[in-house]
Amino acid sequence: MTNPSVQDKASVLSVEKLSIALPEGGDRPFAVEDVSFAIGRNEVVCLVGESGSGKSMIAHAILSLLPKGVDIVSGAVKVVGQDTAALDRRALRRLRGGKAAMIFQEPLSSLNPLKRVGEQIEETILTHQQPVPPAAAIKARVQELLTQVGLPNPSLLANSYPFELSGGQRQRVMIAIATANQPELLIADEPTTALDVTTQRQILRLIDDLRRERGMGVLLITHDFGVVADVADRVVVLRHGKVVEHGSVEQVLRNPRDPYTRELIDAVPKAHVKSRESASHATPLLDVVELRKTFRVKRGWLQPPREVVAADGISLTLHQGETLAVVGESGSGKSTLGRMIMRLTEPDSGAIRLGDQDLRLLRGEALRQARRGLQIIFQDPFSSLDPRQKVGDAVARGPMAYGTARDEAMAQARQLLARVGLTPSAADRYPHEFSGGQRQRICIARALALRPKVLIADEAVSALDVSVQAQVLALLAELRREMQLAMIFITHDLRIAAEIADRVIVLQHGRIVEEGPTAAVFTNPREAYTRDLLDAIPGRRFFDQPNFARQREALA
Amino acid sequence: MDAVKAFLRHPSGMAGFVLLIIVLIVAITAPVLFPVSPWEMSGTPFTPPGEDGMWLGGDTLGRDVAAGVAHGARVSLLIGIASALAAMTIGVMIGAISGYFGGKVDLVLMRVTELFQTVPAFILAILLVATFSPSLLTIILTIGAVSWPPLARLTRAEFLRLRGREFVEAALCQGESTARIVLGHILPNAISPILVVVSLTVATAILLESALSFMGLGDPNLMSWGFMIGAGRTVIRQAWWMSVFPGLAILVTVLAINLFGEGLSDVLNPRVSRRRA
Repeated sequence: MTNPSVQDKASVLSVEKLSIALPEGGDRPFAVEDVSFAIGRNEVVCLVGESGSGKSMIAHAILSLLPKGVDIVSGAVKVVGQDTAALDRRALRRLRGGKAAMIFQEPLSSLNPLKRVGEQIEETILTHQQPVPPAAAIKARVQELLTQVGLPNPSLLANSYPFELSGGQRQRVMIAIATANQPELLIADEPTTALDVTTQRQILRLIDDLRRERGMGVLLITHDFGVVADVADRVVVLRHGKVVEHGSVEQVLRNPRDPYTRELIDAVPKAHVKSRESASHATPLLDVVELRKTFRVKRGWLQPPREVVAADGISLTLHQGETLAVVGESGSGKSTLGRMIMRLTEPDSGAIRLGDQDLRLLRGEALRQARRGLQIIFQDPFSSLDPRQKVGDAVARGPMAYGTARDEAMAQARQLLARVGLTPSAADRYPHEFSGGQRQRICIARALALRPKVLIADEAVSALDVSVQAQVLALLAELRREMQLAMIFITHDLRIAAEIADRVIVLQHGRIVEEGPTAAVFTNPREAYTRDLLDAIPGRRFFDQPNFARQREALA
Repeated sequence: MDAVKAFLRHPSGMAGFVLLIIVLIVAITAPVLFPVSPWEMSGTPFTPPGEDGMWLGGDTLGRDVAAGVAHGARVSLLIGIASALAAMTIGVMIGAISGYFGGKVDLVLMRVTELFQTVPAFILAILLVATFSPSLLTIILTIGAVSWPPLARLTRAEFLRLRGREFVEAALCQGESTARIVLGHILPNAISPILVVVSLTVATAILLESALSFMGLGDPNLMSWGFMIGAGRTVIRQAWWMSVFPGLAILVTVLAINLFGEGLSDVLNPRVSRRRA
């Protein structure tokens, strides 16, 4: 691996042969082993890898934020020429938020909930600028920063609390805090993972604009090759704490040398619509008619309750063997829709017809019987399995609840676990012994144990790494063919919708804005909102057009 | 199994556990160690500790204080544990129903709980015991009846937290019955904090029983620590040993149970035990 820029005097960050040891008893001796790379001024370097690859460890080591018991054993990290491990507390404090700043994944938990946004930005300026500027100058600077990060009405916003802002706005505030003292290095640790595609694009563009204006070096940590394709100059691919590939974005993405990099890039859903034979339209299996739901949130004794419309007359049909993707941004009501069909959330009005029954009118035992035909897979495989129940029991419990004998149900459970790609002996183990992808397979086996007609997957692969995501999607596609399942696939990721769905519904504010066969929606969207969503898919142009070369100075 | 191992490495928890075992051994072997009834006037009144064959001295009527402390351990532990179990039964049931079903049921049950919480527990206990002549059973039930509200509150909070969890919803979608969801999924995941509070309730129950006996509201046929302190209190300046030794017994037992309970809490709380690991 040639690495010419390590010696570059102008680099704002240089990581030299860095090794970080994990405490004894970990799954490997080193979190990060012999990693070298550098970032120059006005350069964006992406650190890519799956969960557990050690990418966040490197970011934390740069600002000397490593947890107790995890230490740098060899190599060094130099920020603007200073070795951070050698700095005393005072010098470190000056560095953090001064010359080098960091943005985290979850903007809500990185802002103080009890302080107004403006105060939090002021604080950063007060801590770092000596002598302390006059109060009026600080106020003016806060306004300027909020304007720079593209927030409307900065004076009103400075007086807001974090909970009053949207996720995208919060991340903008975090960027304002991070850039308040003109840092030379900005570290962004998965800054857009918790955000919607459209917001993601705006935030990435903002980071890129600020980078260009100020000549900052940016270290962007991500697991998404789409994001890499959009913003990176150079890419460092990590696996199990080691650098497997390092080079310019064109070189790594177009001609990956390492098989692992190739695998990761191939696993990225490319939003290529696959042609499918459309199912013959007999009578629909599931018929949802005019579902409405408004959530009322109590605010105070005198204030009227806040109303959030989650479903504003949603109708849809689903046929046997068909996959319907429901896409939309967070707050569009897509999860509520799935939960209402499952009767986990009570709709205000409308009908859910499965076969000849209206699920909405059923109660008690009749509802229990009808639920058999509908199953759901949740987003978070860590909270959707009972930590104190063996995996086999989790799968067998459903059929047993409907009268299957225990031995028979357990035998079926073992078969199903084998079918979803686990060993039958998995049945005797507890969920915590499995990885996220394996747990999601268990959840799939559990949902299929009842032989449902309709399977609802609520962001079922969103919490997984890309390579695992691809495997789970392939499994779902196979099972769907085998069992003639009808599937409702709820997702915010349009790339996944394109890969798996026959038809797509685009939701916005609880209303269907566009509906149609996947190919039609993706290639020829009618609504501006759909077009916005499609344009925001990270890396779309890069992957769609083999000759597309990103302009160095202009993003999208 | 991991929890047991972690507990063995928890210093204060183990100290509490060892003390508790000692108290338990004393309680079990009391009839062997002191075959003579603790009510028997076996020596001269006001014998100081160590004289006349009585290690801890004799009381105003010449009864052996050591025998009283040993036999009192049986009563204290029995009442402490039985009434904590009674409190657990009432508290967990009310908390579970309240937390799982919510709505109006929750509203009514929580108002009832608040009613019990606002009346001072000891006054209510005195009132109840005085109404239903004091006996082992009425004392246990009384202490149970005044100690359940914190358990009900805790159970309700745990149920509210777990009811919205996805694995509970998944069980619902799988057609499992309400009873199975509550007993098979929610309760096992809520049991750790409940166990910790129950263990601490044992300590307060022992204190309550002692206080009741001190007031002369204990079971008249049972020698108990509170009764001994109550009986020795008037002569504490002439004969300190009559109240100090049963007092120490209460102190040691309650301390042991609290240490044990806190150790249990540390070990069973995943966040704390993970930090320790």
